[in-house]
Amino acid sequence: MLKFIGIALVLFAGTMIGFVQAARYAARPKQIRHVLHALQRLETEISYGQTPLAQALDRIAGAVPPPISPLFKAIARALSNETARTGETVREIWEREIAGRWADTAMRAPEQEALLRLGSTLGASGREDQLKHIRLAMLQLQAEEATARDEQQRYEKLSRSLGALGAALIVILIV
Amino acid sequence: MNPSLLTLFPAALRGVLDRLPGDAVQTLEEIRVRENRPLEIGYGSRSAFVRPDGSLTDDYRSAYAPGKEEVRALLERVTNHSLYAVEEELRRGYVTVPGGHRIGLAGRAVLDKGAVAHLRDIAGFNVRIARARVGFGAQVLPGLLDHGARTIRHTLIVSPPQQGKTTLIRDLARCISAGEWHHPRAIGWRGRKVGIVDERSEIAACERGVPTFDLGPRSDVLDACPKAEGIMMMVRSLSPEVIVVDEIGRPEDAAALNEAIHAGVRVLATAHASNIADIFARPVLSQLAADGVFGAYVLLSRNAGLVGHRIVSAEEAALEASGRGRMRAGAVPRDAPQDAPQAAPVTVKTRPMPAIRSPDVRARGDEERA
Repeated sequence: MLKFIGIALVLFAGTMIGFVQAARYAARPKQIRHVLHALQRLETEISYGQTPLAQALDRIAGAVPPPISPLFKAIARALSNETARTGETVREIWEREIAGRWADTAMRAPEQEALLRLGSTLGASGREDQLKHIRLAMLQLQAEEATARDEQQRYEKLSRSLGALGAALIVILIV
Repeated sequence: MNPSLLTLFPAALRGVLDRLPGDAVQTLEEIRVRENRPLEIGYGSRSAFVRPDGSLTDDYRSAYAPGKEEVRALLERVTNHSLYAVEEELRRGYVTVPGGHRIGLAGRAVLDKGAVAHLRDIAGFNVRIARARVGFGAQVLPGLLDHGARTIRHTLIVSPPQQGKTTLIRDLARCISAGEWHHPRAIGWRGRKVGIVDERSEIAACERGVPTFDLGPRSDVLDACPKAEGIMMMVRSLSPEVIVVDEIGRPEDAAALNEAIHAGVRVLATAHASNIADIFARPVLSQLAADGVFGAYVLLSRNAGLVGHRIVSAEEAALEASGRGRMRAGAVPRDAPQDAPQAAPVTVKTRPMPAIRSPDVRARGDEERA
């Protein structure tokens, strides 16, 4: 009896691991898409509204779903309040927040690198230059989105069944 | 030191400025930050360099020199982390920060079709501290009243830079809109509707449309609006009784002022000039003055740190301007002694210039001969 409960637990855990892994594969392209939308809005805010960066990021945070929104929200808050106290630059805040909150997202290193590079120029140059940097970051993210979709198609189902099958293998070995 | 002003500066600079001696902080006028060069402050009509421990010195070698990173952080704070949003201000060479402080910028100009597009590589800052001095207007206003119309005469406030024009015009706007006329015969007059065209956000220091300085209950502010256009917008839609503008000097300003005056609005304006003769020497101002637009002139001058003023009526001004012989050429520094000794004349020995023959001439001559 006890044996059966153990088998059921192992099978359940293995399947769940597979599902979580599959969900990450599915979430990555979706989140990259959200970031792309956010950058598109930022482009509009900078080119037409000439909104100050903190305000622009705050508005963007309201328009995209989590886990992207808390990221922008935190940067906007740090820019409008904390810099008065600490005297930090945009780049420092951007790097700190992205490094701290990256684990909450399903995105990988290439996306992070593109965003960090954008952060080092954001707010520090004229309008045309800003738009160029944002467009460059968007191009990079679009490329990453394509690979992420590719990986999703290839590995999403695979990892789901691999989890269940792996669990079954363990059960067979142990029994 | 004023905490809202201190928060502009990055941590290292703030540490130095926070330890400035109290009397310098009280009379602080400017803070000059230059990359890799000594930190300087102007206070009470004097200037001094600042050591890393906040004490003042005349020796610039021992002064604190802010580095590249600090200057970059300062620029970010000054532009609210959004350089792209202040391109128009960069083109004019200064930004105004919350509190009405104006920050002049020095850097490399970027040209577009021959005109300055904006500044880059900004490495010099002049933080000019704005102060609301309530009570300044009370001394001046009684001399500007037009008792028949129960308002003020058309007035031009004149002084060299840094003598408190903007401070005065701000307090005058407050007095007029609040109805504090400070004159025994003016008791019972109501305040007037005041329209302020604040092209450089200095008079009102608006933050999201709301003035941070007290401008009385009946003031409307057109923030960051070009003067000429703003005056017309005011007249058309905000029905002001008095229009306040800062630093007129361009032809279109004069045209707009004329429009406003003939629309029955009183005008209170400022201009850069060191004396009455200067007004008549500047093309646009002289035209306005010759047309008899202004009913009164206020001249500001500073002696031993105190701002003095003199009110001149239009007739006196015309008289004074006619005696142009006594006119000084250009303004003198404020800390210059009153009767500076004449500089010893430099004598340059003339010597015969060697004869130079242009090779071109001979070449052409050869050709002709050939």
